[in-house]
Amino acid sequence: MGSYLTRHLQVLFATLGDMARTPMASINTILIIAVTLLLPALLFVSIQTAKSLSGQWQGQPQFTVFLQKDISDGAAQLIFDEIQLHPKIELAELLSPDDALAEFRILAGRGGGNLDSELAFIGENPLPASIVVMPKSGFANAQHLQALEQELSQFDGIDSVRLDLAWTDRFNAMLNAFSRISVLLSALLFLALVLIVGNTIKLLIYNRRDEIEITKLVGGTNGFIRRPFLYYGSLFGLFGSVVSLVFLLIAASLVAKPFDQLAAAYQSSGFVHQPTLMEIGSLVLIGITLGWLSARWAVAQHLRKIKPS
Amino acid sequence: MIQLSQVSKRYPNGHEALKSVSLEIAQGEMVFVTGHSGAGKSTLFKLITRIERPTQGQVLVDGKNLGRLPERKIPALRREIGVIFQDHKLLMDRSVFDNVALPLIVLGMPRNEIAKRVRAALGKVGLHGKEKQLPITLSGGEQQRVGIARAVINRPSILLADEPTGNLDEDLSDEIMDIFADFNQVGVTVLIATHDLRQIERMGKRTLHLNEGALIEHG
Repeated sequence: MGSYLTRHLQVLFATLGDMARTPMASINTILIIAVTLLLPALLFVSIQTAKSLSGQWQGQPQFTVFLQKDISDGAAQLIFDEIQLHPKIELAELLSPDDALAEFRILAGRGGGNLDSELAFIGENPLPASIVVMPKSGFANAQHLQALEQELSQFDGIDSVRLDLAWTDRFNAMLNAFSRISVLLSALLFLALVLIVGNTIKLLIYNRRDEIEITKLVGGTNGFIRRPFLYYGSLFGLFGSVVSLVFLLIAASLVAKPFDQLAAAYQSSGFVHQPTLMEIGSLVLIGITLGWLSARWAVAQHLRKIKPS
Repeated sequence: MIQLSQVSKRYPNGHEALKSVSLEIAQGEMVFVTGHSGAGKSTLFKLITRIERPTQGQVLVDGKNLGRLPERKIPALRREIGVIFQDHKLLMDRSVFDNVALPLIVLGMPRNEIAKRVRAALGKVGLHGKEKQLPITLSGGEQQRVGIARAVINRPSILLADEPTGNLDEDLSDEIMDIFADFNQVGVTVLIATHDLRQIERMGKRTLHLNEGALIEHG
C-alpha cells in the first residue's frame, strides 16, 4: 500500500514537472477549461441570486378579496364568516373601508402630501371593504391558488379577487425554465470540454509514442502506461477549475453593484449569491472529473493503437 | 523454451513474412538467426514477444501458448524477455539511468533497490559512472550497451537481439557478443538475429537461416 502510494506520488510529481516544461501549452489548456467552466458557474450564481431574491419577495401567499363598494356592514360580515369557515383557508382578516383608509394614510404619510384635502374633495371614503385571505399551507401552490381564486370570485358581493402571487409565480416559472436551459447548456459545454481536453491528451500520447512503445515492450501494464495521462487530465481539470473560481470572483465583484441597486429598487436587501464552500468544492470536483474523463476517453481510443515496432 | 510449430504469418497487406516455420530452442541455448532483410527475422521476434499473433500455427514460450495468452498477461510475458534493437530504442530525453531503470520502474520496485541494480547492470556492460548522461552524448557502441543493460536488468530468462552489432566495428562487435555469451553462460536463453557471419563463426553456435519466410537450419 505504501509503495502503491509512493508510485502514484511519483507519477503526480513527474506529471507536474512535464506540465512545467511546456508551460504555454499547459496554460492554454488550463485557460480553456477555466473559461468553459466559468459560464455554467456564472449561470449557477445568477440563478441562486434570483432564487434568493424571489424567496424574499414571496413569503406566505395572500389573496386580497375586494367587496363591492355599496355593500352593507352586515353583508360584509356574512361573506367574511363564510370565507373564514372555508376548509382551504387558514386565516382571514376583514378590513372595513375605515381600516383601509387608515392603512392608506400610513403608507401615504411616508411620502408627505396633503391626503386630507384630497379626501375632502372626493367627499367620502373611496376605498372598498376588503378581506385578506391566507390559504392553508397545503393549498399554497399555483394550481390550488388559482382554483381558490376562481371559487372566491363567484361569491355574491365580491367585486374582485387579487392573487398577490401572480407575478412572483410568473417570475419563478421563468426562473425554472431558465434553470433547465442552464443545465442543458452546461451539459453541452462539459461535453465540448471533454472533447477538447481529450484532444490535447491525444497529442500528448502521440508525443510520447516512443516512450509508450518501449514501456509496452519491457512489460509495462496498460494501467502503468495510462497513469500519467490520467494525472495530466485530472491536474488540468484541477488547475482549470481553480482559475475559473478566480474568474468567477472577479465577475461577481463586477456585477455586485448593479445587482445591489436592482435589489434596493425592490425594497429587498439585495446580494449576489456568495458560493458556499460546498459549491466551490463541487466546481473543483467537476473540473477534476471532467479532466479525468477526457484523459480516460483519449487513452481508451489511442493507447491501444500504439504497438511496439 | 521457445517452440514454434507450423507457424505462418501473413500481414494485412498480404505479405507472407513466415511460411510454416517449426523450430525449438532449448532453455539455456544460444542461437543465431540469419537471413537477408525481409526474410522474417523481425516477425519471428514479434511473435515471441506477442507484438504480433501468428496467422497459423502455435507459438509456445516458456510453456505458454501465446495464441491463447489474454491481453492482460502480455506484460508478464514481456518481463521474462529482454529485447535489444539495432537502433537501440533508447529514450533520448532521459538519462542513461532512467533508460536502464524502466523495466524495474514498471514493476513498481522501490527507488533504492532500482538504483542498486541499475549500477550493477551498467557495471556489467562496462558503463560504470555514466548514469547521469543522456544517451545522445554516448558513442554507438555505448548506446548499444545501454540497451543491453536495460534488456538484462530484470534478469529475464530469454534475450532477443536484433542485429545488435549492425553498426559497430569488429572490436566493439566482439565485446558485445561476448557480453551475450556471458549471459548465456549463466543460463539465459539467447536468440540473436545477425548478418555478421564473422561473429557466427567466432561463437560457433547453432544457426537458423530464414529465406523468404521459410526456415533452413544449419548445424
